[in-house]
Amino acid sequence: MLWTVTSLLTAATQIESGGTFWMPEQASTVAQSVDFTFDVITWISYFFFFGIVGVLILFMVKYRRKTHSPTTEGPTHNTTIEIVWTVVPLLLVTVIFVVGMRGYLNLVESPEGSYEVSVTAQTWFWTFDHPEYGATQVGELTVPVGKPVRLLMTSQDFLHSLWIPSFRVKMDVIPGRYTTLWFEATKVGDYRLLCTEYCGRDHSNMQAIVHVIPADEFKERMVKLASEYVDMSIDELPAYAINRLYNRCQSCHTKDGSESIGPTFVGLWDRVKSGDVGFTSGEKLSSLYGEGTEYVVPENYIRLSLLNPQKHIVKGFLGAMPSFQGQLKEKQITAIIEMFKHFDDLVDADGNIKVNTDGTPRD
Amino acid sequence: MAMSTTQEQPVTDNYLNHTKGIFSWLFTLDHKRIGVMYLICVLSAFFFAGVYAMLIRFQLLTPEGTLLTQDQYNQAFTIHGAVMVFLVIIPGVPAALGNFILPIMLGAKDVAFPKLNLFSWWLWIFGLIFFLVAILSGGIDTGWTFYTPYSIDKTGAMGGVIPALIGAFILGFSSIFTGLNFVVTIHRLRPKGMTWFRMPLFLWATYATAIIQVLATPVIGITLMLLVVERTLGIGIFDPAMGGDPVLYQHFFWFYSHPAVYIMILPAMGIISELIAVHSHRHIFGYKFIAYSSIAIAMFGFLVWGHHMFTSGQSPLMNTIFSLITFSVSIPSAVKVFNWLATLYKGSISLNTPMIYALSFIFIFTIGGLTGLHLGTLATDVHLHDTYFVVAHFHYVMMGSALIGFIGGIHHWWPKITGKIYNEFWGRIAAVMVFIGFNMTFFTQFMLGSKGMPRRYAQYANMPEFQIYHVISTIGSVIMALGFVITAIYLLHSIFAGRRAPANPWGGRSLEWQCSSPPPWDNFAEQPTVGDCYDYSVLEWDEIEQGYHWKSGVAHPGEETE
Amino acid sequence: MTTAEHDHHEDQIGHIVPIKFLVFICAILLFLTAVTVWVSRYDFAEINIAELGIIVAMLVATVKATIVGLYFMHLRWDRPIIGFIFVGSILLVVLFVGMAITDSSEYQREIIKGDSIDVIEELKKMKR
Repeated sequence: MLWTVTSLLTAATQIESGGTFWMPEQASTVAQSVDFTFDVITWISYFFFFGIVGVLILFMVKYRRKTHSPTTEGPTHNTTIEIVWTVVPLLLVTVIFVVGMRGYLNLVESPEGSYEVSVTAQTWFWTFDHPEYGATQVGELTVPVGKPVRLLMTSQDFLHSLWIPSFRVKMDVIPGRYTTLWFEATKVGDYRLLCTEYCGRDHSNMQAIVHVIPADEFKERMVKLASEYVDMSIDELPAYAINRLYNRCQSCHTKDGSESIGPTFVGLWDRVKSGDVGFTSGEKLSSLYGEGTEYVVPENYIRLSLLNPQKHIVKGFLGAMPSFQGQLKEKQITAIIEMFKHFDDLVDADGNIKVNTDGTPRD
Repeated sequence: MAMSTTQEQPVTDNYLNHTKGIFSWLFTLDHKRIGVMYLICVLSAFFFAGVYAMLIRFQLLTPEGTLLTQDQYNQAFTIHGAVMVFLVIIPGVPAALGNFILPIMLGAKDVAFPKLNLFSWWLWIFGLIFFLVAILSGGIDTGWTFYTPYSIDKTGAMGGVIPALIGAFILGFSSIFTGLNFVVTIHRLRPKGMTWFRMPLFLWATYATAIIQVLATPVIGITLMLLVVERTLGIGIFDPAMGGDPVLYQHFFWFYSHPAVYIMILPAMGIISELIAVHSHRHIFGYKFIAYSSIAIAMFGFLVWGHHMFTSGQSPLMNTIFSLITFSVSIPSAVKVFNWLATLYKGSISLNTPMIYALSFIFIFTIGGLTGLHLGTLATDVHLHDTYFVVAHFHYVMMGSALIGFIGGIHHWWPKITGKIYNEFWGRIAAVMVFIGFNMTFFTQFMLGSKGMPRRYAQYANMPEFQIYHVISTIGSVIMALGFVITAIYLLHSIFAGRRAPANPWGGRSLEWQCSSPPPWDNFAEQPTVGDCYDYSVLEWDEIEQGYHWKSGVAHPGEETE
Repeated sequence: MTTAEHDHHEDQIGHIVPIKFLVFICAILLFLTAVTVWVSRYDFAEINIAELGIIVAMLVATVKATIVGLYFMHLRWDRPIIGFIFVGSILLVVLFVGMAITDSSEYQREIIKGDSIDVIEELKKMKR
């Protein structure tokens, strides 16, 4: 009966594939040493558990009470044995500590030349930026197999934690601060990435997939991702922008009309087009449109705000926007402008995105 | 002479009927009545939070979630945790059993500060009220740990946060005053002959607990106050948007909350020392080592709080230090378990209900403690932190050990407190149900955690292969809940229709067994003298009264020397 | 009520501190408070030791805390063990604050300063 249950449990746990009674499959270089440490502790635990419980049951049976007024004459103290069963566990836990420490140091120190990915966590999704290629992924992370990857992570709002069980890596993601973790994937495949620090309502939905692909395919995939928009026609750009580019804006610009560090994107195009925007310098945007003026047309205002946001700061805001010079290609800027123009088609009244990157409606 | 055990005739005047009326209870200064009030309150809170636990378990029967919305689930685990920690298991043994038993076991008439004792109980009630306000007003969904910045965020977290924080703050003072009372009582009110090393081990455990209560609890008080101020005035201590540090909050929080878990477990361990000795009719083995280990656990417990923060962004330096010291705490606990086993050796073990709970404790605490090794080890904790492995571990030690010790103690001292004997048959059935149900519920959660299920997940639709574990866990929880319900029924039944209890039904030697069941209003007419409280050879069974009394011809301690 | 058979320790339990004396101590504390306020306003940069303000303020605070402990909290006339217990709790404070400060100083370089969360720039800074 017990065997059936345990094999049921083991069989039922083929997540990605493989895995043992206790652990999911090993898909990173550190997984093996972590599992080894786990096994050392577990076997020591089995030894003590079965020893203690065995003695317990033995005594329960052998020394069962037979009369109401028994005389018991066991020992009441024995200093030698007290020392033995203090020192032996002490030595064992020291061994465990050392084994654990060495595995830990391995987890902390990422190798030189690791491929870097920048991770942004926010309620309730993950954004992965590949600065080397200028590509962005939301909800999925593509990495090459057999190469060390270092994640540089920060949060936009609350505490989150990034956990990839099959890699055995985890680190909290903290607002206002960077944390790092590194791994080297050993097997091609898809692996779960989970948020594992409670962050509010949709905490249990905050997941991503790690796609581990062959190293020689990686560069090609990244370049393709980075230039996803390159062949798009102008009316495909808004859907691309809201899914792939907006995540860089959302820490300051909301899509549901609510107030934030910067002006909300809802209705932005109407305001910009009409020029009905006041700046801290006292000027009005409308005065900067027209022949020979700074912006000439509203589209230019958007373009130049991305590249030099400090030139004109909208009244009532702090002027905290960073420049995206060098980060956005020309067509991406066009995509953003188109996104503003068609914002109502992209986002519903509650601020949920209505379309996928390829333009298909999202449920 | 109220010192020797009385014979058959029921004691008509005892603490229960000495005065009548609800106000004579609500404003009593008698530690026994205060203990009883605490017991009723704590057990009621236990059932209340237990309902939330069942909601959680049923929600997780299916991957998509069966019953609750995500918001409701988040509230459920928050309320379950907060009520269980602050209202049930921290006050639990010290307030409910300690208050009743400690003075009598010590040979005193009452605690050192009876009015303060009453005030502690009222603070518990005020704390409860604030928690109820929190649940009913905005609700709380931050988790019982109230981590920032989520708990600061007014648009994110629900509005019941501030009443909950105030409630916990008030409960902290209830705990501090109880601890203070016990420290002074044990220092000052021991009778002649009761030196430190003649005290029963339950008192050593309670003393160590009281030290922690006094030293550690103010820290959580300050932390919660800072959180209230942060949330209302925005001072910016924990909020990164204003230059604050969320990890600092965690340092503050865990500096108390780790010693708090020793507040939970130490008294239960003290109970187990008593149960094992009395119900195997055997002198405790290694008295001094058990006593010292209680103090060692209390002291080391202050040095290890960072092991709750290994993946929180705590520096590797601190991680290493905390991991190293954490292992030191495991040693005194192991020493206790070995001493208890040695006590059973050549004992005469009666497998009655209290003993079943005590043996369950040893079984469950062994697993709980050993899995602590997995969590204290850095490399494995990175994988296991914030998963169901942790949930399983702390339920093994907090519920399977501390709570089961509490219930074992309730059964052990039930005849003393109520003057009635409960139904032994149902007692054993329920104890076994609780044991089996508990292990079914929580052992599967170890595997859930290590195989990849995070904590505080309202649904696991993307991970349906975990369902079998959750189903087994839920079935186990139903068995366990039934065990508790049965326990409640027969205990309540015994109050009304149980057999009258003799002064010493189990053959205990500590002083509480030398007054009647229930005790008289003033515990002892004259201060009793003290011998070796684990030497049972002076007792013999009396078939008529179905209890133990002093062997005739054997002198009481102190008598020969006068 | 709860009277213990009194132990035969020698010291002055039950020693009453005269009110005048307590008022005198209070006056000293108020004076020291005034000193702290004055120090906070005085610009020590003139003497080229800008931190002197903090140092003086901390010293004054330590003196005040000691006075409160010795006189208001009666430690001056209590058994030494009581004083040790008090100091023991201070040690716990030191332990906690020390560990927390050590920890945060270890991860200071990971804190994002200012308003800009320019990931690319930070990434370059983090490269060793």
